[in-house]
Amino acid sequence: MKRRNFIKNLALSTGSLLIADNLLAETLLPPKSKKLVILHTNDTHSNIDSFPSNHPKFPGMGDVAKRFTLIQKIRSENEHVLLLDSGDIFQGTPYFNTFNGELEMKLMSKLGYDAATMGNHDFDIGLEGFMNAKKHANFPFVCSNYNFSKTVLANETKLYHIFKKGGIKIGVFGIGVELNGLVPKDKYGETLYKDPIETANSMAQLLTDLGCKVIICLSHLGYDYEDKARISDLVLAKETANIHLILGGHTHTFLDKPTVLNNANNQQVLINQVGWAGVNLGRIDIDIDKGILKSSTLEVK
Amino acid sequence: MILRKLILIFAGAGLWACSSHLVVNGNTNKEPVAQTIVSDSSMVSFIKPYKDSLDKRMNEVLAQAEVDFIVQRPASNLMNWVANALYTNQTKTVRLSQPVVCLLNTGGIRSSIGKGNVTLGDIYKVMPFDNTVVWVELPIEVLPEIETYLLKSGGEPMANLSLKEGKLSILSSPENPTHFWVITSDYLMNGGDKMTFFTKRTNVNETGKLLRDVLIEEARIQGKLIYEY
Repeated sequence: MKRRNFIKNLALSTGSLLIADNLLAETLLPPKSKKLVILHTNDTHSNIDSFPSNHPKFPGMGDVAKRFTLIQKIRSENEHVLLLDSGDIFQGTPYFNTFNGELEMKLMSKLGYDAATMGNHDFDIGLEGFMNAKKHANFPFVCSNYNFSKTVLANETKLYHIFKKGGIKIGVFGIGVELNGLVPKDKYGETLYKDPIETANSMAQLLTDLGCKVIICLSHLGYDYEDKARISDLVLAKETANIHLILGGHTHTFLDKPTVLNNANNQQVLINQVGWAGVNLGRIDIDIDKGILKSSTLEVK
Repeated sequence: MILRKLILIFAGAGLWACSSHLVVNGNTNKEPVAQTIVSDSSMVSFIKPYKDSLDKRMNEVLAQAEVDFIVQRPASNLMNWVANALYTNQTKTVRLSQPVVCLLNTGGIRSSIGKGNVTLGDIYKVMPFDNTVVWVELPIEVLPEIETYLLKSGGEPMANLSLKEGKLSILSSPENPTHFWVITSDYLMNGGDKMTFFTKRTNVNETGKLLRDVLIEEARIQGKLIYEY
């Protein structure tokens, strides 16, 4: 009966039938190109201009307008691209102190970011401050282990987001760092913190059940700590299942190459982080049948 | 037509259900870009009005520096200037029966100030983070712990405190105080830079005032940055 209604609804007009056909073809039929390029940044910290040419570590690096050129080139060469950020978009240059995050959000929208998660510094102007800046963002924030239901951010962020690229479903969720002791209480208010491992496991399971073939965790936990008991991306990778990529932030870690670890089910997880300030753009090439083909760190200079 | 689609859907779903967990199957090395990237011109022009208005504001001259102000342990002119500007600003109208000192962290001073004009932008570079000023009351017995910390770290910005021959003392103090107040940042009070002695606090007064705003205020008042007290 339900199905008959479904078919009846579909047949209401030629227009809706056409749309439905396209939708079906898009979501369920095998794609022509099975290649997916994931681009990612973390801890950009309001860096919009490049570092000065006499900078001891990153001379002339990290210009947003150069990042845009690079992203546009990759988009022109690849059909299916996702651009993601792992948080700490705010704080670090007077652009942030002056424009309260508005410019960062506008630029990320122009760069074509598909999703981001929140870092601890994204709470620096309070939840309302973040919400005001977020009005200028045209992409979703995925925050899976911050419960904002008692705050002004209720319904402003998503637990996860599913992208459909060439018929493949890609699930993206976000895991944030514990705010207590790191961010003043008056900035995060009644935000509740949920266990990162438990949340990540339930998100990855849910996304698997929903048919996602690639599952990405945007993490702001930090790559690794001296105290091995402290939750980090390395711990998260080992103690969860069903996650394929952990794209991290917080510790401003520069890796020579991504770390590959086995998860709780002895399946491979790739963990990456690309420093900070937008000096690098991470790139991971995936073929849905063959696996992760290539990963590279592209210098923005 | 619809039926045909549905059959295709099921066939498709069957094909995709058998794919396994993604494996790393290729090169994962770093690939630096060889040539310089050209900035996207539309992006540059979008940023320009923001940059121009920011530059205009940040270029405002607040004061003069007669020498280069640098950060250098154990103590330097910029470390002294920051700590003393904060101490002066905060103690102008306060008279307490307990001694008041100022202690900050060398790592929190993020840049030097060159000789000549001191701009708003210079102060932002010195203090980019939005740390606020707090007053922390500590029992006098904590003083040796601060001494140990300073000897280990090699020196932090401080005012009304003297570290001579390995001995830390309060410069101006009433006799035999039981407690003393430390003017510092919320970051340090909350355990930043492992200043764990702040956990022994007996009282706290949070001003809510940004440390950077205090420095801006004092630079304007001084006209020429004062570093010798």
